[in-house]
Amino acid sequence: MARISKEERKTNIISAALKLFSEKGFYITTIPDIAEKVGMSVGNFYNYFTSKDILAKELVMYISEYLGESIRKINDQEITTEKKTYEIVSMYFNMADERPEMIEYFLRVYLSNREVFGDGCEGMICVSPFVTEMMMFFNDGVECGDLHDQDFFSAFGLFMGYLGGMVFLFGEKILPEPLEWYKESISQNIYNALKTR
Amino acid sequence: MPSKQDKKPSIIWFQGVTCNGNTHSFLNLENLDKLLNKFEIFSHPSLPSTKDFDSVTRCSLECDIFIFEGTYDPLMKRNDVLISKVVEYYAKNAKYVIALGSCASFGGMFKASAPHRNSGLLFNEQEKSGPLLNQQTKIINISGCPIHPEWLAYTLSMIEKGREVEIDDLHRPIELYSTLAHHGCTRNEYFEWKVDADNFGEKEGCLYYKQGCRAPMTHASCNKILWNEVSSKTRVGTPCFGCTEPDFPRQNLFSTKTNMSIPEDVPLGVPKRSYLTMAGIAKTFHINRLEGKLIDYKTTD
Amino acid sequence: MITKQLIDQIEGEASIFFDMKDDVVDFATIAFPHFRGIESILKGKSALDALVITPRVCGICGHAHLMATVRALEDAYKNAGYPIELSEKVEIIREFTLVMEIIQNHFKWIYLTIIPEVAKLTNSTREQTPLKGAYGASIASKAIAIFAGQWPHSSYMIPGGITTDPTNIDLLKVESYMDELIGFFEKESLGISLEKFLAFESCKDFNTLNSDISHLEASLVDIKMNDKGLSYDRFLVIGEHIFTKPSKLKQTRPFAIDAKYVNTVDAYSPDQTSYAKNAQYKNDFYETGPLARAIATNLPIVKNMHRRFKDSAYSRVMARVFELATLLEHAKELLSKIDISQKSCLKSVDIPKITAKGIGIVEAPRGPLLHSVNIKDGLIQDYKIVTPTQFNIGSSSKSNPTPAQKAMKGMTQAEALFIFRTFDVCSVCTTH
Repeated sequence: MARISKEERKTNIISAALKLFSEKGFYITTIPDIAEKVGMSVGNFYNYFTSKDILAKELVMYISEYLGESIRKINDQEITTEKKTYEIVSMYFNMADERPEMIEYFLRVYLSNREVFGDGCEGMICVSPFVTEMMMFFNDGVECGDLHDQDFFSAFGLFMGYLGGMVFLFGEKILPEPLEWYKESISQNIYNALKTR
Repeated sequence: MPSKQDKKPSIIWFQGVTCNGNTHSFLNLENLDKLLNKFEIFSHPSLPSTKDFDSVTRCSLECDIFIFEGTYDPLMKRNDVLISKVVEYYAKNAKYVIALGSCASFGGMFKASAPHRNSGLLFNEQEKSGPLLNQQTKIINISGCPIHPEWLAYTLSMIEKGREVEIDDLHRPIELYSTLAHHGCTRNEYFEWKVDADNFGEKEGCLYYKQGCRAPMTHASCNKILWNEVSSKTRVGTPCFGCTEPDFPRQNLFSTKTNMSIPEDVPLGVPKRSYLTMAGIAKTFHINRLEGKLIDYKTTD
Repeated sequence: MITKQLIDQIEGEASIFFDMKDDVVDFATIAFPHFRGIESILKGKSALDALVITPRVCGICGHAHLMATVRALEDAYKNAGYPIELSEKVEIIREFTLVMEIIQNHFKWIYLTIIPEVAKLTNSTREQTPLKGAYGASIASKAIAIFAGQWPHSSYMIPGGITTDPTNIDLLKVESYMDELIGFFEKESLGISLEKFLAFESCKDFNTLNSDISHLEASLVDIKMNDKGLSYDRFLVIGEHIFTKPSKLKQTRPFAIDAKYVNTVDAYSPDQTSYAKNAQYKNDFYETGPLARAIATNLPIVKNMHRRFKDSAYSRVMARVFELATLLEHAKELLSKIDISQKSCLKSVDIPKITAKGIGIVEAPRGPLLHSVNIKDGLIQDYKIVTPTQFNIGSSSKSNPTPAQKAMKGMTQAEALFIFRTFDVCSVCTTH
């Protein structure tokens, strides 16, 4: 039997935890639940994460880094800002489709249980990789003249609030069409709102 | 054995298109008399000179150090002689050429007087294409608007002692221009934690994010070698205008250019992504001590 | 026959073209040959950029330009419907640094220009100490720098106030520099306490001293400068400050004044192009500067000089010496009035909201300095500068000479060159 590395085990825990948290809810899910799903002892589990709160914060950073890296790949491409907008929307919706537990965790656990994250996740420290990449997207867009200059949070709220809202509706099974179908219109709306007049 | 009586190095201080700011700044030097005693001043705009101005412009002198203050304008005359002739002669003849101030170093404020023909001695803004390109090994740029008197005193003393003045890519003495104007600013903690000044006239807050402070992007020793031995612009709440750099003067000087609230220029050498990661995090914290006033005076009205 | 004399070491240079008759000056024209086009450079720029650009008109009086600019901007704010109220603290600190700049100017002028020039005319063997001027100026600059960050070329005045928010530490430091400067002036220049010097009421009081200043005074009498360099004997003070009394003066009779009557005309300089325009008041020439300011404020010793020697070169020089003394006392007094609890800068609307015209006038070392600006949406459409040297040392026709031209008439060339310098020439200001 091939030996599973520590890193792989950690990733397995993360995947399992994300799934359980989004299925059962944050407070109801216990460490033994997660340990059982991964197939390890509770004692061994604590070698990887010393508490549920620590796990909760690491999950946010994991998602943030994943999102950040994905957006960075798009930012680094030599394509128009309009195309980048589409690519970001596409990436986000793909993630909601293929790994719903990640976006679900972000919307339903991180944003909704701020008391869990108060100590050690002040401000935007835990979502920094993701926010930094969005800043780079906006910076480059204005610098090259495609987007009009405005306050960062106005633009960020428009982009992310919109995407989060759509994914939330998707999660509630309210959207009649698959998420894929909305990519074009959503990214057009976003780009039209942000672009230079 | 009898020691050879060395002649004092001679200086000609000559001007192009100038406001005389560097001349007056230099007169503020502490112990000016001690420095001047080590040199023979052939010609200077206000100090007693041993040679008359005619002999300077007749190009009949041999001098060791040629100091040029002001923007170089090839059509300008002084004493009815084209300054181009005077500059060309002494640049060949002197051992050292000092371009004093940002005008002489890069074009500066008065490049705009005749932008198509004015420039510094060696540089035209960022481009190394000035009239003294062939003499570049002799040229030291002491940029600044004006220069700090100690920057010139340092250069002259090094020359007098026979020590080599190491220079950077822009021919500025490394010992003076390797630090940033940002180093030593009394508002540094506000920069670290991204607590921006809301308005001018407050003791608190960093001036980089809104008030246009160029100190993190400017090579200068203003907060290390204090102005008039006592202060600096940023210490009195005035933003640095980046006057030692080739792009001085910039425009919209009292405000920071931002793109979507992100500063267009981030500290020298720091990748924008790295800066945003640090700044983005810091900006979302609220640290009471740093957001409050340092001193609350009881008002009398 | 016209002979050309080039003058340097006047914050730049100028050429005087002398038309001599029987070895004395019949008529002289003055050409300032250099031009930098600062008014053009300002066009199209954000109005706040003027706070950095105009000080670069001049290295020795740049601070006066800064204050003229900020006054012009604040006037524009008012005319646009956003009047700015300055705290008393701001008015005092601004005046303090302006006055200190005048003091450093006079120190340098006395020791680097006038005393050496007088020595040439008297063939004096007395030891020259030009660096006393630089030293006095450097201490005055320190006092400025505590408030302004640096001297030269500070931009600490902005619409709404100043960028500095000083503490008592700063005030005490400035006070100690003032004490040092006054002590230096008393010991090295006056030979008497400042208080006693300011109590002089007659020129005879100088006979009691043995110092640089008393030697200067005696030398001026020796070369009969109390009878030479006479001009129109009419004066102009326009800048409004605590230390000035704006007025037009015919000899010593004061009249009301309105800056709108200041006009400029092209220089008359047939032998060489001059880039300096002549400044007039209601199309007449008036002298400006320390002598004008002293007469306007009725300073007893200067009134005494003027009674005996009119607006001779003697009066012109000694009025400057006395202004140095009175301003030192005034500066100390200003310092004691600063209330640090007052606001340094009151926020107003952003400059792009301003579309209006504004005028700012200050008394610079050599006289009134006028800046007028026309702003549209925060950008400069037009900017005009009139400097004091334009009032004093313009170049006009023989039938209607400027103050300096009139003062040089009938003098030998050597005397005329000296009298020219007694107006404290600032070549760079004049040819902005």
